Amino acid sequence: MASTIIGANITIEGEVIADEDVVVQGTIRGKLTAKDGVTVEAGAVVEADIHGGPMTVAGSVTGNVTSSDRVELQSGARVVGNVKAARITIADGAHFKGNVDMDV
Amino acid sequence: MATNTNTIIGRDTRVRGRLAGRTDLEVQGHLEGELAIEGDVRVDSTGTVAADIHARRIVVRGAVKGNLTGDESIVLEDGARVVGDLRAPRVTIAVGGLVRGYVETGLGGARSSAPHKSAAHHAPAKAHVAHTPAKTHAAPAPAKKEAAKKDAKITLAGGKTAPKPVVPVLKKGTKGALTKRR
Repeated sequence: MASTIIGANITIEGEVIADEDVVVQGTIRGKLTAKDGVTVEAGAVVEADIHGGPMTVAGSVTGNVTSSDRVELQSGARVVGNVKAARITIADGAHFKGNVDMDV
Repeated sequence: MATNTNTIIGRDTRVRGRLAGRTDLEVQGHLEGELAIEGDVRVDSTGTVAADIHARRIVVRGAVKGNLTGDESIVLEDGARVVGDLRAPRVTIAVGGLVRGYVETGLGGARSSAPHKSAAHHAPAKAHVAHTPAKTHAAPAPAKKEAAKKDAKITLAGGKTAPKPVVPVLKKGTKGALTKRR
């Protein structure tokens, strides 16, 4: 169960710092830092740099994504920015523009 | 997820900035900035909010530093600690709810149902306002003013000014305490 949920009809302009899971259904502009998993659901808009653990993206992300674990871009995801993570998967139907940095 | 449109700021989460939207919001963690929500806001016992809150209904069990404005109601439950002003058509302060600030009920609608409720719930609020800050902060600042007023009294020899200082001094003390705390 996710501990922090940013609901579909809310906009946060600022900084979100979580020591737990974060699920984004709404809009965040600024900065998002989580110790655990980050899920950007379909319909969500994140205009922020994201730092965190395992990430799943199905919505729109504009900003750099840094993960200590894996990043999964699901079908329908739209990501503009650089992604740095241990493992990255990009599903068929995901839009992505940016650099990928994996530990090779 | 059953509560799909709700927003929850979890226990170990800090949010700094401006939150706006049409959703219910539950704060279990820390929130700092500005809150304009067209929905219900609930500050849980673990929640701490340093922000002005504007929402339809506001329920507080945790700590809030800022002014609360409810379009419908404000409920301070047991464990609530609020430093700030409360404004809503209906304001409820339960036993164990602490407030330091100005309380105003019956804005706009729902005025007819408000009076007896507000009268009952005003009392504890005022009690809390009165006892904490008055003793600690009233002493140093208003002392000079009181002295000045006494001087004025001597020269004017006005009888009607005598009882007046008591009330304003208390009010100034409490208000001074509020602004100092912020």
